[in-house]
Amino acid sequence: MADRYSFSLTTFSPSGKLVQIEYALNAVNQGVTALGIKATNGIVLATEKKSSSPLADPSSLSKISLVTPNIGMVYSGMGPDYRVLVDRARKVSHTGYKRIYNEYPPTRILVQDVARVMQEATQSGGVRPYGVSLLVAGWDEGILPEEDIERAAQEQAAVAKQSSSGLEDDGEEGKKLGGKTGGILKGGPMLYQVDPSGSYFPWKATAIGKSATTAKTFLEKRYTEGLELEDAVHIALLTLKETIEGEMNGETIEISIVGPPADHLLGVEGVEGAVGPRFRKLTPQEIEDYLTNL
Amino acid sequence: MSSPFSINGGACVAMVGKDCVAIACDLRLGLQALTVSNNFPKVFQYGDNVFLGLTGLATDVSTVSDLFRYKVNMYRLREERHIAPRTFANLVSSSLYERRFGPYFVSPVVAGLEPKTGQPFICGFDSIGCIDFSKDFIVSGTATEQLFGMCESLWEPDLGPEALFETISQALLNAVDRDALSGWGAHVYIIEKDKITKRLLKGRQD
Amino acid sequence: MDTLVARYSRPAYHENEVLSEQEQQDFTDTVPSLKFAMPPVAHPSAWLRAATDDRSNPSCPIKIAHGTTTLAFRFQHGIIVATDSRATAGTWIASQTVKKVIEINSDLLGTMAGGAADCQYWLAWLGMQCRLHELRHKRRISVAAASKILANLVYQYKGMGLSMGTMCAGVTKEEGPALYYIDSDGTRLAGDLFCVGSGQTFAYGVLDAQYRFDLSTEEALELGSRSILAATHRDAYSGGSINLYHVKESGWEKHGFTDTNPVFWKTKLEKGEFSNVTSSLDD
Repeated sequence: MADRYSFSLTTFSPSGKLVQIEYALNAVNQGVTALGIKATNGIVLATEKKSSSPLADPSSLSKISLVTPNIGMVYSGMGPDYRVLVDRARKVSHTGYKRIYNEYPPTRILVQDVARVMQEATQSGGVRPYGVSLLVAGWDEGILPEEDIERAAQEQAAVAKQSSSGLEDDGEEGKKLGGKTGGILKGGPMLYQVDPSGSYFPWKATAIGKSATTAKTFLEKRYTEGLELEDAVHIALLTLKETIEGEMNGETIEISIVGPPADHLLGVEGVEGAVGPRFRKLTPQEIEDYLTNL
Repeated sequence: MSSPFSINGGACVAMVGKDCVAIACDLRLGLQALTVSNNFPKVFQYGDNVFLGLTGLATDVSTVSDLFRYKVNMYRLREERHIAPRTFANLVSSSLYERRFGPYFVSPVVAGLEPKTGQPFICGFDSIGCIDFSKDFIVSGTATEQLFGMCESLWEPDLGPEALFETISQALLNAVDRDALSGWGAHVYIIEKDKITKRLLKGRQD
Repeated sequence: MDTLVARYSRPAYHENEVLSEQEQQDFTDTVPSLKFAMPPVAHPSAWLRAATDDRSNPSCPIKIAHGTTTLAFRFQHGIIVATDSRATAGTWIASQTVKKVIEINSDLLGTMAGGAADCQYWLAWLGMQCRLHELRHKRRISVAAASKILANLVYQYKGMGLSMGTMCAGVTKEEGPALYYIDSDGTRLAGDLFCVGSGQTFAYGVLDAQYRFDLSTEEALELGSRSILAATHRDAYSGGSINLYHVKESGWEKHGFTDTNPVFWKTKLEKGEFSNVTSSLDD
């Protein structure tokens, strides 16, 4: 009965816009800034943890979430909508992938699944679009043999050399391996942004939320190719510092990384073949350490 | 005799070698005692080096092979990559278990090389998807007992491609010659890192 | 010596006082009731059917070797008898070298289809009866009589699980080439041409198409062989070798026990028959 009389709240305006989606984006653009930077050996996600009251307990507040052991995400916009999406992302990563292939989805597949959920909210009856943008960071195990990856790296280096010497070479022959730090075949770190419309974009580094523009201008200046994870964390903190409103310490900001497998988080020891999660949140202490070195 | 698994007959075997794997099947399609066709291969290729052998009820062999053709094509379009043998094996397992209470009457065998390491991978399944991982060989079909006997005696570790071809061929041929419901020729695939060889064995036609 | 000749050359029923009761049973009784141990149950035949007949009970505990193609046909120069040589127990191929032509004596042949043990035993027994007939009557038994001895015997055991489909072939002066079909139901038929066993239809297909009474000996042998070959190809339970015999008035003559495999490929590749079979990857 309910769906008989429910129609999509997101309808085209005469000019061809879906204003509900634009409103959702407005909600995102009022949200707390979140940013992500991809390095050669990992990714960093960072955001500000703003509490409305000094009585709130910041240690129980968490804005960056683990989706699969190698994928995490952060948002800007409406917190409750985000929590729903985290639930859906975690669920779909199992029902739509792990239960079928007995392995976790690659980042792009998960991003597509989440993006589908968000798109459906723009076309279904009786629902409104999600008021969040997401940054999804993950590490993919590639399927190419090691030699191929090495060879590709060498080719890439050769191309980089060529282009730096002013020679352009667009017609690359041979296998396309995707970007320097990715490509589904090669594996490596992946960073995506997903918007309320359901569109998604891969980034080397980006920001969403209130000060996204400022942050992105800053990132454009600071970002360099061949960045290491440690540098990326450093840049993330600097960028956050530019845009943050309150004080910056281990309690008020939240940082997660996708890095080398964290075997200490497995909870077990001596299990053959067990690999720890690559995604993990930094402790307030770790953040403080980074901040003192800033 | 009237078990769905032995109406049509057929045999399949996969073996591990040194940096190579082999998978082979017979070519018979029968209706009980009557041999209807001598050109019914039971090994199917899905991608660069992923192979699936299916024995059992012929209608399900066709249906299941087509189903996985569809699923693997969808995987390739969605993920822009070929499916790896281990991933494919898990797909086979979950797809079969989906039919837990009305199974396909097939006994699948998967063989391939892991794309990342080049390591051989073989495994077998029951009709509802329980995976049987193996380091040496996997057999299925109406000549299972005979194949086990042949493999247990002929197989040895680290066989090169040519020796592996000889081993799997002799194992299959001599096994089906002791089974009334399989034989009538065979297909053998030898899978190496960047070479796949397919051969036809002219087996006994009785 | 004289006593021996005297004893055996006279009709048996005069010998009562000479032979012991057991001997008398063995030699004269063609109704060998209760010579075999029967299953100690109320209805032995029903019990045997349940235990040994895998057609009515696929999971029967006693698997009897089945599956065969045998054929025999009359023609101007005698009778051709041909069989395959496969024995199966379920789908298991127990042997590829079974002799399914039983040489009852130098003149009579029997073929074997159904239970291997039943055929072997009772055709050997028939050989004994034929020999006794010769000794008693001082002349060879007719094929008609020999086949009837067997038919009457199996009729005694009807319903008790005997499984045989057999042909008796022989050439006698009186009968000429004579061919009889006998099965464990008690059927006994005289005829020109019979195929028996799981592959019979396939053999009939070839045999009926090419059969003539005025076939030459060579043609007849080839036809017998080709019919068995066709059956071994299509019937899962027939195969192995082709066992070929020619029965003449002077007795039977064996024409080989030939593996089907080379014969098949020769027939396919040289004569272009069996075009349904693939011999290379590109067809």
